[in-house]
Amino acid sequence: MYRLSRLRFIFPIGLFLALFLDGSLSNLWAKLYFAYPYSMVSELVILWLVLSYFFEQDISIPLIPFSIAAGVVFDLYSSGILGLNIFLFPLIVELTKVLSRYFSPSFLTIIMIFFVDIVVLMTLTYWAYSLVGITSMGIGDFLLFSLTPTLALNLVYFVIFYWPVSVLYQHALNDQRV
Amino acid sequence: MQKFFSNRRLVMVVIILVICFGLMAGSVSLRNRRSTPPLIQQFGNDIVGFADGIVAVPANAVSDGMSSVGQLFNTYSENRALKQQVTDLAQTKVRDQTLAHENKQLKQELKLNKSLTDYNTVTASVYMRTPSAWQKQLVINKGESNGIKKNMPVMSGSGLIGRIAEVNKTNSKVELLSNTNDAANRFAITLDASGKAVNGIITGYDAASGELIMGQVTSKAKIKAGTKVSTSGMGGVTPKGLYVGKVSRVGKDDYGLAQKIYIRPAANFNDINIVTVAEPA
Repeated sequence: MYRLSRLRFIFPIGLFLALFLDGSLSNLWAKLYFAYPYSMVSELVILWLVLSYFFEQDISIPLIPFSIAAGVVFDLYSSGILGLNIFLFPLIVELTKVLSRYFSPSFLTIIMIFFVDIVVLMTLTYWAYSLVGITSMGIGDFLLFSLTPTLALNLVYFVIFYWPVSVLYQHALNDQRV
Repeated sequence: MQKFFSNRRLVMVVIILVICFGLMAGSVSLRNRRSTPPLIQQFGNDIVGFADGIVAVPANAVSDGMSSVGQLFNTYSENRALKQQVTDLAQTKVRDQTLAHENKQLKQELKLNKSLTDYNTVTASVYMRTPSAWQKQLVINKGESNGIKKNMPVMSGSGLIGRIAEVNKTNSKVELLSNTNDAANRFAITLDASGKAVNGIITGYDAASGELIMGQVTSKAKIKAGTKVSTSGMGGVTPKGLYVGKVSRVGKDDYGLAQKIYIRPAANFNDINIVTVAEPA
């Protein structure tokens, strides 16, 4: 019962916080994130979506509509190029759902699924951007200088945020039952 | 697998792909052609921009606080060096004022109201940077209502950093010179080679060395490293005299016919919090 749980506030607020933090952190730590030749893409939105899927327990958050909304905001506001993340964010949520069927959730399996999500997201973004002509980066450069650093950064995010988010969700859901 | 690629799903996937690429191609071309995005997009962006301020303002404040602690450590040595510069600067400033005054009088004499060097500035702070490996782009907190228009040049601290790519009512997007996109960094620039003006445009950005490239320079003039480069005001949108950077080295182009000038930009493209947008008066 998403409508009655506290998650109906916590989830959207967290989602939009993640959306804006992605941009803010990219600007504040631009020296670190975009030090030549590497470029690290902050994907807190995906992290929040994936963690929410695993921690929601028996409450099913409408992840697909929210991920579409996040995609629209990302496309219009951050990148200015409409039409990519609107489809990619829900696709990643679906992918997470499909993958989670094969594993029982634990720290290691969730981190692995998140890893696969980021790889798929980055690769599809790269593919679409090279087709539309926004980038002309070679595939080798992409793998070495964009994908690998992005994975490293987001795994660090994951390790930092896993426990706090899990505690937050447990707290929000436990109080519900009392 | 067979079930996954059933007919209906396949059709859905194809339709989604078509819509996705249609939208992307449409928005890329729209962005290049129109001066402002469609009204509904502007409206959405303004609301989101307002919400972003709630996150960006505290984040910027924290980073400012941290950097001021960092700056405290080298304050002493910096202060000594700066004191020497200040005495020089006072003289330059007085001279500058006198010249500006004289310039104004001479312009009045000639009935020349606006020339290429006249411009007003709008100061804005940076909300966010696009979290992307390929788009070097910032969102700033001033828009159409503050007089910002598409293609205006944007400066930060000491030098030129890019141009306005998209304008909403209360925020706009800035494409940095380091963007590898074709149209991002074509600025008309000029430099002074021992009395002779060398004109050209910025033709590219060398990401490896962080230098701007001024290609296709057919002038035979000898250009020294360290020569200051500024915008030339040609083309109309960019005012004259915005500082770009200094010449770091001069090479030949691939065929050995024209000169290729490498310019070290004055601004650091990865450390931008406050920007100044120049609008021609």
